[in-house]
Amino acid sequence: MYPFGKGLKRYVPFLFLLVPLVLYIIFYFGPSMMTVIYSFTDIKNVPGSELKFVGLQNYYDVFFSGNSGERVDSIIRTLYFMVIVTIVQNGLALLVAVIINQKLKGDYFYRAVFFLPVVLGVAVVALVWSMMFDPLSGPVNYLYNALFGYKDMFFGSFTHAFGYIIFVQIWMYMGYSMLIFLAGLQSVPKDLYEAGYIDGTSKWQSFKNITFPLIAPSFTVNMLLSIIGAMSTFDIILATTDGRFNTRTMAYDVYKETFRGSLEMGLPSALSVVQFLIILVFVVIAVKQMRKREVEY
Amino acid sequence: MKDSKSTKILSYAVVAILLILYIIPLLFVFNVSFKSFTDYLLDPMGIVSNIQWSNYKDAWVQGNFSNYFLNSLLYTGVATVLTLIVSLFGAFPVARGYVKWSGFIYMFFLLSQFLPNPMVAQFKLMLAMKQELGFVGYDTKLGYILLKTSGTGIVFMMFTGYIKSISRELDEAAGMDGCGYNRYLFQIIMPLMKPVIATGVILTAIGIWNDFVGPVMYLPSPGNYPITFGLKEFRGQYGNNWPMLACGIMIVSTPLIILYTFIQKYIVDGALAGAVKA
Repeated sequence: MYPFGKGLKRYVPFLFLLVPLVLYIIFYFGPSMMTVIYSFTDIKNVPGSELKFVGLQNYYDVFFSGNSGERVDSIIRTLYFMVIVTIVQNGLALLVAVIINQKLKGDYFYRAVFFLPVVLGVAVVALVWSMMFDPLSGPVNYLYNALFGYKDMFFGSFTHAFGYIIFVQIWMYMGYSMLIFLAGLQSVPKDLYEAGYIDGTSKWQSFKNITFPLIAPSFTVNMLLSIIGAMSTFDIILATTDGRFNTRTMAYDVYKETFRGSLEMGLPSALSVVQFLIILVFVVIAVKQMRKREVEY
Repeated sequence: MKDSKSTKILSYAVVAILLILYIIPLLFVFNVSFKSFTDYLLDPMGIVSNIQWSNYKDAWVQGNFSNYFLNSLLYTGVATVLTLIVSLFGAFPVARGYVKWSGFIYMFFLLSQFLPNPMVAQFKLMLAMKQELGFVGYDTKLGYILLKTSGTGIVFMMFTGYIKSISRELDEAAGMDGCGYNRYLFQIIMPLMKPVIATGVILTAIGIWNDFVGPVMYLPSPGNYPITFGLKEFRGQYGNNWPMLACGIMIVSTPLIILYTFIQKYIVDGALAGAVKA
C-alpha cells in the first residue's frame, strides 16, 4: 500500500525516479546501445554525415585489415594484463589479508597504508612511479645498478614498460582487494577454527578447509572486480606511457581511435563490442568456477 | 588457537617489506620536493640539507594549481551531492516497491555495471549537445558534472539495501499524519540514512576527484582542468625537473592524505560495504 496520498499523488515517486532513469539512459545506457549499433555502420565523426549499415565489415577490419596486427597485439596484451593482474593482485591481497587478520600490532595502520594509493588517485600514483623509475636519477635504477650492475629504461623500454605498468596497477589496487578479503575473513565464525584445533588440523588444513570455502563470496567479488577493471581501465597507461613503448591495450585503442584517431567511429565501436564479449566470457567462467566453491553454513 | 612464534615473525617480515614498498616512494617524493634542481641532479637520494621552501611557491604559481583546485572542488562537490540525491530518488521507491516494475528497474540499474563500453557514442553525444545547446556537453563544466552524476552506481545499491532495513511502518505512520512524499524523503528518511550517506559521499567524492580519463576526454580547455589533468599538464611543462614535479605531487596529495587520516575508518567501512554489495 502506498501511504502518501491517493490519485495524482500516487505518481510522485515515479516522477522522482525519472531523474536517475533519464540521466542513465541519456549518458550510459543509450550511448552503450548506440555503440553496439555503430559497430555495424560506417559512421564518421562529422556532424550530419550519412551512415549506412556495413554488416560485419568493422569486425573484419579489427582482425584482418592493413594495420590490424597492432590491434591484435593490443588484444593479446590486454588478456595478458588481465590474467596477471587478477592472479597476482588477488593472491597477494589474500596473503596480506590473512596476515593482518591474525591481530598483528598496528593492523589498522597497515590497511590504511595499503589503501592509500586508491585515495591518492591515478594521476599522483603515475607521477610518483615515473619519478621512482626515472632512468637517469631514479632510485630504482640506482638500486638495480648497485645490486646487479644493470640499468633499465622502465616506462621508456619497448620490452619492459608494460611489465612496469602491471606492477604499478597491482601496487595501486592491492589494498582494495585486501579490504574485501578482510571483510570476508572477519565474517568467518571463530568457533569453526576452535573445533578444527581440537580435531588437530594443521594451519594449512584449516585455511584450505575452513577459511577458503567460507570466504569464497569475497573471492568472487574480487575476481569480478579485477577482471572487469583490468579489461576496461587504461588510465594508468594514459598517465605513464600514453600508449607508447608497446603498452596499448584494447581500452586504450578504443579511446585513441575515438578521440585522437581518424574520423571513423565504426571501428572503435566494433572494438568496444569485442572487448565486451571477452569480458562476458571471462566473467561467466569465473562466476561458474567460484559458485562451485561457495558453501552454506 | 595459538600462533607459533615463527609464523608471527614471518608475518611481520612480509608486512615490513610491503610497508617499505608503499611508504618509500612517498618519502622519496617528499624529500625531493625540498631540493634545488642542481642538488637533486648531484645527489637524487640524499636527505635534503638545504631546504628550498620557494619550490612550493613556484610550483603553486606556475602550475596554476589554485584554479585547478577550485575546478576540482566544484566538480566533486556538485556531482557528489547530485549523485546522492539522485540515487535516493531511485533507491527509495525501488526498495519499497512504490513504483511499478521495481524489480525490473533494480536489475536495469544494476546492468549499468556490465554494459559495453559507451565511450564512442558518449563522445558523439557530448559533441552534439555542445553544438545544439552550447551550455552543456563537450568541454563545458555542466556537461562534465552531469556525466559524473549517476543514480545507478554503487551508491544506489548501498541505499537500496539500507532502506530495506528501515521499517515500513514508519512510512505508514508518516502517511497517516499527512506527511507528503518529498518531505518524508528529505526530512525523515535522509537523517536516518546518515551512516550510509557518509560512506556514499566518500566513495563518490574519491572517484570524481581522482577521475583522470574523464577530464582528458571531455574537458580540453585549460580553464576547465581539474587537479588531475592539471598535474598531467604540469608534468608536460616541467619534463624532468623532478623537484618541481615532486612539489606538484605534494600539493595535490597533502590535502588528500590529511583528510584521509581523519575519515580513514569510514573509507574502509564504505569500501567494504560498497564492494560486498556490488
